Amino acid sequence: MVNDGQGSVLRADGLGMAFHGPEGDIRLFRNVDLAIRGGETLAILGASGSGKSTLLGLLAGLDLPSEGRVWVGDAELTALGEDERARVRGEQVGFVFQAFHLLGGLTALENVMMPLELAERPDPARAARQALERVGLGERTGHYPKQLSGGEQQRVAIARAFVGAPRVLFADEPTGNLDRATGARIQDLLFELNRAQGTTLVVVTHDPALAERCQRVLHLDGGRLVAAA
Amino acid sequence: MTAARQGFRLLRRDWRAGEVRLLATAVVLAVTAITAVAWLADRVAAGTEGRAAELLAGDRALVSDRPIGDGPEELARELGLATTRTQEFASVVLAGDETLLTAIKAVGDGYPLRGELLVGDNLDARRVAAEGVPSPGDVWVDPRILRQLGLDPGDPLDVGATTLTIDRVVFLEPDRSSGFRNFAPRVMMHRSDLPATELIQEGSRVRHRLLVAGDPDRVEAWESQVRPSLEQGARIATPGEQDPGVTRAMTAARRFLGLSALLTVVVGGVGMLLTIRRYAARHLDRVAVMRCLGATQRQVVAMLGWKMVWLGLFAGLVGTLLGYLVHALMLALVADLLPPLPGPSLRPALVGLLTAQVILLGFALPTVLRLKRVPPLRVLRRDLGDDVYRGGGVYVFALAAVFALMWWQAGDLQLSLYVLGAVLGTLAALAAAAAVLIRVLRLARGRRGNASLLLSGLVRRPWTAVIQIMALGLGLMALLLLTLVRNDLLATWQDGVPDDAANYFLINIQPGEVEELTALLDDAGVDTTLYPMVRGRLVGINERDVRPSDYEDPRTRRLVAREFNLSWLERLPEDNRIEVGAFWNPEPADPAQYSLEARMAERLGVGVGDVLHFNVAGERYSAPITNIRSVQWDSFNVNFFAVAAPGFLDDAPATYITSFYLPPERSRLLARLVDEFPSVTLIDVSAILDTVRSIMDQGARVVELMALLTLLSGIVVLLAALQVTREERQFESALLRALGARRRLIRRLAVTEFVLLGGVAGLLAGAGATLAGVVISRQLFDLEYAFNPWFPLIGAATGAGVVALAGWLATRRLYRVSPMRLLQDADEA
Repeated sequence: MVNDGQGSVLRADGLGMAFHGPEGDIRLFRNVDLAIRGGETLAILGASGSGKSTLLGLLAGLDLPSEGRVWVGDAELTALGEDERARVRGEQVGFVFQAFHLLGGLTALENVMMPLELAERPDPARAARQALERVGLGERTGHYPKQLSGGEQQRVAIARAFVGAPRVLFADEPTGNLDRATGARIQDLLFELNRAQGTTLVVVTHDPALAERCQRVLHLDGGRLVAAA
Repeated sequence: MTAARQGFRLLRRDWRAGEVRLLATAVVLAVTAITAVAWLADRVAAGTEGRAAELLAGDRALVSDRPIGDGPEELARELGLATTRTQEFASVVLAGDETLLTAIKAVGDGYPLRGELLVGDNLDARRVAAEGVPSPGDVWVDPRILRQLGLDPGDPLDVGATTLTIDRVVFLEPDRSSGFRNFAPRVMMHRSDLPATELIQEGSRVRHRLLVAGDPDRVEAWESQVRPSLEQGARIATPGEQDPGVTRAMTAARRFLGLSALLTVVVGGVGMLLTIRRYAARHLDRVAVMRCLGATQRQVVAMLGWKMVWLGLFAGLVGTLLGYLVHALMLALVADLLPPLPGPSLRPALVGLLTAQVILLGFALPTVLRLKRVPPLRVLRRDLGDDVYRGGGVYVFALAAVFALMWWQAGDLQLSLYVLGAVLGTLAALAAAAAVLIRVLRLARGRRGNASLLLSGLVRRPWTAVIQIMALGLGLMALLLLTLVRNDLLATWQDGVPDDAANYFLINIQPGEVEELTALLDDAGVDTTLYPMVRGRLVGINERDVRPSDYEDPRTRRLVAREFNLSWLERLPEDNRIEVGAFWNPEPADPAQYSLEARMAERLGVGVGDVLHFNVAGERYSAPITNIRSVQWDSFNVNFFAVAAPGFLDDAPATYITSFYLPPERSRLLARLVDEFPSVTLIDVSAILDTVRSIMDQGARVVELMALLTLLSGIVVLLAALQVTREERQFESALLRALGARRRLIRRLAVTEFVLLGGVAGLLAGAGATLAGVVISRQLFDLEYAFNPWFPLIGAATGAGVVALAGWLATRRLYRVSPMRLLQDADEA
């Protein structure tokens, strides 16, 4: 709906998603057009089951749509194979999840190092340490996820998301598993890093407070993406 | 090499996090068991071969009818092997006016290279191991020579053109064991005295032997170099080949070691099957996150693959080290009972390292590599990709890996094929049974209240239940099969040389002496039967004449060229079995019937209905073969290749032969026999019998040891692998407790499920082991298999017991920890 197409970091044209169900196809959404500028912050709101997480997955290249096209920067994700999309994700995309998704056996530092190691960047430990210091966990680099609180785990996840300096950061209910105060601190951190690094931020949430802090808010409702009133 | 480094790093992190410990434990245990078995097998086989080598007096013997040139001996020396030579021939010796046909053996220094000569200063002297050989100018003689010629040590004995002095009595020479080809008593002299006897002339019938001994590899190198250039009439004798009993024991022991080794492989594989699924399941999220963070499929494959290679290397090293320690410990425990063993070789270490890789690559890698298919979207939708690691394809790979390992480990294609067949058959039966069980439980659900809940675990996790039943069943089958074969083997060996096996043979008994001799033996309480023996040459089969040149096989040629010892029998001896046809009545209407030994019939290419023509002292005795017998040659009883029905050979000139058991304390009877029946030849086989018996005893001990080791390692592997189920029921048990279930109910749930799993697996394992046992015992170990209809039930009880124990161990902690904690743990898992 909202798509000027010019200078956008993330763009979707005519995006649609349908699943095969036992009683015929289930159409989650269709004709979603979207363009997000560099450094912009966007919230996608929607009820449970509205398909907002699926949309996020498609925008991030984690899955392919039933129809339509998606670009991150110059890369048309929908025209790429799985491994090429993985490369784009590694180079240009960061993620923060509701369930944190830290790897249990790895320390905070090792979790943050992971994307750099996958991309074979030099000296991943130094960059990872710096990233942890920026989220206030410089003293806890050797801790395992189990030894960290929920808020701390999410900060590690944010450090992991930002450490590769992605162009776009996708956050799926980033404060969904946290209490209000901790959630607020996580939000601060996300927006601070977004400003500092000029990263485009796409947040999927049903937390109106978080959505309000974004420059733009869209609703996924009845299979259509509409601007918030 | 980045992937190798990343794989290593991943492994280090996984290890620290405890993610690979179970997998590593399964590999370490499998490798420990396999290497311990390999080391034991290697060293004990070499040790047993050493015992058999005693019966050859060397590790190999080059035997020839003609003088042996210097080439083979020089080669042996170059290879650092010990050598010596012997010459044997028959000759008459003189003591005063008395003459006696003797078997002369001229030996060189160093004889025997293996085993020992037992000698004494006189007939009653204690038998001691000789240091060296007779000095030039001396002879050592058989006790019979002293008895029959009335001589004593110190007396002169004329041997050919020279006179030698009787120095000692020789009671046992290691290589004079089998095939009573040469019944004459022994005169042993030094080779340097041989020319002076002038007994060896052009055309003399002399058996020349060059003995070699030393490092096994070098001995084999010597054999392989000498064998191609053997002259006609020369051959290389190997340990054990002359003694069917020993050969059978050795072959069976070696096969059993092979069987143990490859059943260990099967059990190790089962351990992997049980653990790898948990490992894969726990890695779904990690791989999804990695994919999400930009890892390509190729990166995932390379990293996980390398991780497995590294894990294999470390687990292989640790397992190999433990295997070495376990084998050393087991050998230390039974050191007194075994012969001196050669040092350990490096081969089992190599086996260990490679086994770890094969197990991991065969069992783990196909499953782990499937993880590359985990969709990255799983980070958002946890239900995606749950089943990527499932599928039958991985098991094909695993089976191929197991088969390759089995073949390589046991070095016995036939054995490996049999075991693979048993494995596949059991797997199919187990899968079918598991499916039926789950179906039945599903139908029964909701009908019996609490009981239905007790059994619902299997229905709720059908795939897990099927895998567990198959894996457990296979593991139990391997262990039960080993136990079965072990029992049969031990029983057969114990029966093989009974305590009262004949230790003396009397031959050349004239018909006129039969009555008197029988009476003497009867009076002395010796239980024996005298068999008539008629010497006849096989001259025709059906319508054609028989000549040695008709046969290609040299042994058959020799058999045909020589005279057969024919006999007649009223009843079938206990150690004979009719294979084809029927044995005659004690008083047959038509006595013109032959019974032929099975292998002889095969060599001659004849069967029931063919007519054999024997020439006995110029008379032709022709009759059809009416039955074919198999003979247990290692029973140490008198047996014949060809026998006729009673009445047929009555007119032929016969002598009699008998064998009997005489306990050592009654050996005085022997002197009486020799005195009263001077023409009868007495042969003492008690020393040979002792050697054979001790080889079989050692074989039995080794079998016990290996069976124990395999069983222990198998149970440990299964117990460790079953810990996996703990993960699966952790969340469930916490939830049930949170919902108000009491510990007792949860414990009953677990125990019921485990008992059912183990019981079904054990029942089929018992049945599978019984069937496989029949085939393996009969085909590979040549054993009479004692079918035990209770075995499936024994299997079921064992399975239920072992699995319930494992279940108890696996779920113990679940009842002690708070549900809250368990739920949190489960969430994190």
